[in-house]
Amino acid sequence: MLNPLITTARESLRYKGSGQILWLLHRITGLGVVIFLGTHIFGMSMAAFNPPLHDAMLAVYKTPLFSVGEILLAACLIFHAVNGTRIAILELRPSLWDKQEVATRWSVIITLILLAPTIAIMAFKSISYYVTHGVK
Amino acid sequence: MSSTTVTPGRTVRKVQPIPQTRNRFELGMWLFMRYSGLALVFLALSHFWMQHVLIGTHEIEFAGTQLRWGITGQPVTVEQVIWRAYYAVMLVLAVAHGINGVRQVAYDYFGHRPAVYKGLMYVVVGIAALISLGGIAALFMGAAASGGEAALR
Repeated sequence: MLNPLITTARESLRYKGSGQILWLLHRITGLGVVIFLGTHIFGMSMAAFNPPLHDAMLAVYKTPLFSVGEILLAACLIFHAVNGTRIAILELRPSLWDKQEVATRWSVIITLILLAPTIAIMAFKSISYYVTHGVK
Repeated sequence: MSSTTVTPGRTVRKVQPIPQTRNRFELGMWLFMRYSGLALVFLALSHFWMQHVLIGTHEIEFAGTQLRWGITGQPVTVEQVIWRAYYAVMLVLAVAHGINGVRQVAYDYFGHRPAVYKGLMYVVVGIAALISLGGIAALFMGAAASGGEAALR
């Protein structure tokens, strides 16, 4: 049952080309986002159906472990968005098909440009919160 | 049909031709993934930067959410209707985009075992349908659902 997964992991790392690595990252980040999406929609809808449970979820959101995970989520979401834009634009515009290599590079560059200030703000806000409020 | 020589140690899978209806469905999903993805770039990133970064997760409180969605029991304002529409559109697109992504991953790893693949998809689609119906209900009927409990707080 795990054989296809192991083959994917091994072959993905061996195969040459930046597009292949971005494909793997797109898949991993997509799965990461979809797992959070499910729990997030459930937790937020509890604001209407079960306010105490919703409050408990918000309390979990304000713990250091979640804050670290949230920065990972930011990385997954921003990469998936930027790389997905690359895929959509390139596949819907055949005239750009000779620009694949340049596009993969810009995919990484734009991700880093958007991610850096996002992580900086999130880390700053998290740390200042835990310094003033303490860790619960 | 010519016989194929198989190198030892190589995985060879028989590929069945995809039926016409399935093919049209796949083309539709392929297009949907591109267009919903482009829409979600704006929707999901604006939501994440607003709530998780600019306001900041540590400042998010129950009362703020109640006010934004209009589930306080007071008459709903235009602003609250716009917020509800924004979240509802994002929710539907994100869940559908997510399901199809999971479907593709599941097909890649379990496509050669139809029972596992189908079972997995029933579970995924079932959970996703429940969660999104709950989310939509919370947005549009939240005031009725939270009713007295919300007013007490």
